[in-house]
Amino acid sequence: MMEWAWLIPSLPAIAFAFMATLGRRMPNWTAVAATGSMAVGFVLFFFVFADWLGAKSFPDDYTFIYSIDWLRAGDAVLTWGMWIDPITLTMLGLVTAAALGIQVYSWGYMAHEPRFTWFFAVHSLFAASMLALVMADNLLLLYIAWELVGICSYLLIGFFYDRRSAAEAAKKAFITTRVGDVGLLIGILLLFKETGTFELSAIFAALEQGALSEGVVTGAAILMLMGAIGKSAQFPFHVWLPDAMEGPTPVSALVHSATMVVAGVYLVARVFPFFEASDTASLVVLCLAAVTALGAAAMALVMTDIKRVLAYSTLTDLAFMMLALGAGSLTAGMFHLLLHGFAKATLFLGAGSISHGSEQTDIRQMGGLRRRLPWTALFFGLGALSLGGIPPFGGFFSKDEVTLAVFHGQYGWVFLIVALAVGFMKALYMGRVFFSAFLGRLKPENEHAHESGPSMLAPMLVFSVVGAIGGLLAFGWSEGYKGFGYFVFAGDHQEGFHLNWWIAGASTLLAVAGFGIAWQAYVARKLDTERVIARVRPVHTLVANKFYVDEVYQWAIDRVVLTLGNVIAWIDRAFVNDVGVNGPGIVTELSGKVMRNVQTGKLYSYALGMVLGFLAVAVAWWTAV
Amino acid sequence: MSTFEGTLLFLTIALPFFGALALVFFPADRHGLIHWYTRAIAFVGLVLAVYIFVTFDTNGGLDKYTVDFPWLPVLGIRYTLGIRYTLGLSGITAPLVLLNAIIFLAGVLVSWNVTHRPKDFFVWLTLLVSGVYGVFLSTDLFFLFFFYELAVVPMYLLIGVWGSSTDFRAQEAFEGRGFGGGGKYNRPKEYGAMKLMLYLVAGSVLVWVAILAVWAEARSVTGEATFAIAALADVEYSENFQRLFYPFFMVGFGVLAGLWPFHTWSPDGHVAAPTAVSMLHAGVLMKLGAFGILAVGMVVLPDGAEWWAPVLIGLGTVNVLYGAVSALGQRDLKYVIGYSSVSHMGYVLMGLGTLEVIGLNGAVFQMFSHGIMTGLFFAMVGIIYERAHLRDITVLEGLGKRMGVTGAFLAAAGLTSLGLPGFSSFVAELLVFIGTFRTYPILGVLAVIGAAITAVYILRLLAKVFFGPISPRWEGLQDATKLEAAVGGALVGVLLLWGLYPFRIVEIIDSGVKPLLESMGI
Repeated sequence: MMEWAWLIPSLPAIAFAFMATLGRRMPNWTAVAATGSMAVGFVLFFFVFADWLGAKSFPDDYTFIYSIDWLRAGDAVLTWGMWIDPITLTMLGLVTAAALGIQVYSWGYMAHEPRFTWFFAVHSLFAASMLALVMADNLLLLYIAWELVGICSYLLIGFFYDRRSAAEAAKKAFITTRVGDVGLLIGILLLFKETGTFELSAIFAALEQGALSEGVVTGAAILMLMGAIGKSAQFPFHVWLPDAMEGPTPVSALVHSATMVVAGVYLVARVFPFFEASDTASLVVLCLAAVTALGAAAMALVMTDIKRVLAYSTLTDLAFMMLALGAGSLTAGMFHLLLHGFAKATLFLGAGSISHGSEQTDIRQMGGLRRRLPWTALFFGLGALSLGGIPPFGGFFSKDEVTLAVFHGQYGWVFLIVALAVGFMKALYMGRVFFSAFLGRLKPENEHAHESGPSMLAPMLVFSVVGAIGGLLAFGWSEGYKGFGYFVFAGDHQEGFHLNWWIAGASTLLAVAGFGIAWQAYVARKLDTERVIARVRPVHTLVANKFYVDEVYQWAIDRVVLTLGNVIAWIDRAFVNDVGVNGPGIVTELSGKVMRNVQTGKLYSYALGMVLGFLAVAVAWWTAV
Repeated sequence: MSTFEGTLLFLTIALPFFGALALVFFPADRHGLIHWYTRAIAFVGLVLAVYIFVTFDTNGGLDKYTVDFPWLPVLGIRYTLGIRYTLGLSGITAPLVLLNAIIFLAGVLVSWNVTHRPKDFFVWLTLLVSGVYGVFLSTDLFFLFFFYELAVVPMYLLIGVWGSSTDFRAQEAFEGRGFGGGGKYNRPKEYGAMKLMLYLVAGSVLVWVAILAVWAEARSVTGEATFAIAALADVEYSENFQRLFYPFFMVGFGVLAGLWPFHTWSPDGHVAAPTAVSMLHAGVLMKLGAFGILAVGMVVLPDGAEWWAPVLIGLGTVNVLYGAVSALGQRDLKYVIGYSSVSHMGYVLMGLGTLEVIGLNGAVFQMFSHGIMTGLFFAMVGIIYERAHLRDITVLEGLGKRMGVTGAFLAAAGLTSLGLPGFSSFVAELLVFIGTFRTYPILGVLAVIGAAITAVYILRLLAKVFFGPISPRWEGLQDATKLEAAVGGALVGVLLLWGLYPFRIVEIIDSGVKPLLESMGI
């Protein structure tokens, strides 16, 4: 089945083409085409997975590569091909499952939307691009898919295009990530210049043989990292993600769990040898991730819109993955990516279920919703506990892996403290959002709230259960699967799951404390949050205003970029055109006007001219002789 | 002329040329007849171009396309100066011929609303198109120049008579920031037409001087008078001669390609021109300039080209960035696209300046795909202008609600322009980037940044004009007609086809670029 794996991204892409062209004529086939193609992809994934586990004799250890020519120009041959290794398989499983579940959810959620077809069409393309991204065997195809992921998110965030805020959010997301993509593309082109190929296997071979200078390795790593932090919304490119919730909730669920934002983490994981080879690049990853994690967790604590809280929690978790990768642990990063994906999908679908059933998005307006939305409360709770890092739920294991990895990495102690602090904050804001939404007293305006239908609940059930028990994946089950660490590293340096009881204990204590404090504040009401806020008013204002980063960027765009545009446009008109082009025109015209006076038609003027000329010649001749 | 393929080439030029002359004798009031007649000519032209493109043999075998006969002896004059009417095809020209055919048909189809003296309009338009075919297919410098002028001169009348003026004073007061803050900006169409004409004629003068110089120099070296490009390219010119006269070609043709700082005619010309003319102008005519630099300047004076290449690629980079930044500051839809053309032609010039096989492939491919893209742009803007009677970005708002189809196609053109993979411009620009990175990496970095600036002005334009709540004033706007939508769809289809499957077209271009570089000794 391995050589048919290209069908997994191709089918949804074909479904997109069908829906985008004929969808309006055949609206009933929309959901069938979209969900059907995803379902086939999901099933295919298992065949590919089984095949991979069964066959272990690929040309390049545990990596299956298959490619076709896409373009030949001069001495360059550019190909499209697939690369299937454990990282790809992890991503394939996550993306197909998440996209399928979210599409099923959307049947109910988007049912009354007039542009139902367009939604499913772009959703399919979104999933297709992400699948192509994780299967690409060369950086060019990866970049192509990367950009398509970006444009799909642009279209989906701007789905309600007649809202000004949605249009602006979509634009912001695309342009912000595009700035990062400049770095990515330059990095890719730099590698092409050095190695003459885009193919990962050849580039890695060159890296191993030391054909690339240290500067090139670090430079390429940091340039590609630019693209990664753009997509993964890490500081300083984080501003687009919280605004991206202008799109319909299922879109947020997909963006935050399995596509788009995890693409950045995936990219770092994919070109991991570069980060292994360059301590500088790894340190940059660690530092940016630490800044993002702390800042985003702080913002998640003060936001009041449920989707915004979740958005900042995604930023935090992505930074967590980056921390692991920066510290040199591919396993921990990928493991957290996988488990976070399921838990975050649950949470976003839960948030969608709340707003679908009660029209509420502000957590201060919620409370006691478990009475009206019991199933949503259960699934959301599982997701929150998992992401909060409470054992034995999945998120605990991945968080622990990350924390441990960070401890073993560069400047271990510094980043360990960051990781532990962030772990505490994660538990605190997860507790805050869950308790204030579902526990406590039901507000009168929420009396009419109702539970969502089965098509919306079923995906949440699956995701929350997988997210909750996903920790089991860390352990070996059989001869074929010896635990996630062995799986990701297939051949060489295998990593089993290991616990450091001190770190695990500390992080568990902190997580429990986080939930405990949240309970005191939002359920038992023993802790007055208003007083806490009053004490740290300036800090709270700073965080609640997102550290004013958005304002700074807006200022830079309005005052610097647009002013530059206006000035250049003005120079082009006033100077290059009006002086440089019209100038000669005017001079010609004026000289014509002046010279015209010579031809007056009056005989005495000509006579005077002749006399003067004669005299001038005479004088000249006389002086010369 | 003998072969079947040669006859096809001959017909490609002759059909619109004589077709236009025949149209002169049509009754002027039979609008329907005139429209359908021109459509038929354009359609047959497209069929010919597609046939030539599809049957193109990349393994050489180009001789069968040759058309060659002495010119004046046919008329009974013996002293010829070495002028012959020769046509030929190469991997570089085959896609450009196809481009011209596509844009011509698309332009004619969206010109159904030309009711002011349609006969005269189509006569000039068709004549212009035959000139473009002639430039691409001629292998004799004399006729290449003749066709070059034939393509340029009708522009003056087409813009001066059928164009539109820009006058922001007549429109609403402008409240936001942006160029022309006071809301006063007035450019009559006559200004645009006159400027374009003077500029292009100035460029032609340079080209003509260089052609005559090359002809005379070649005759003094070899003792034989000829205008044949291939023969002129074989002559060993002195290095100083090459360095002296290559800039005449580079700047002379460069003017038409929008080479900075000789570009200002282009936005003004685009803006003043009627839709079909804008399409042909930005879509095909600007490519004539780049094509001239490549197929005449570089081929005939390779050492000069090599010596001046850093200047060309440097100016190309300025084009990219300067055009993109200028586009940010515009408020007229057509000015945005006009400056974006300046910016995108910069990629073509950069590709030419690399003098490297991948860069040149990219340059030629970019000519093709920018032509299709900008044709689509101007077609859609023309549709908006025709309905709303203005093009002021600050006034148009939320049109997506009423003009969804137009908006979708304009968005497709915009995404092509910002280099979205899947559309052919991405491939073209990628090749240019690769070529530039191999030769001048720093300029390559700047070019990539230029593509990001493109994203800013394109998305701002889309967000402003099509997204957001619709203003009540535009509630009554009609979307694109079926015919217009079909044209838009076809153009998007071409962009997607070559964006997803560039193998064949790049193979064809490559088969033309490789021998060209070999002949240059690179």
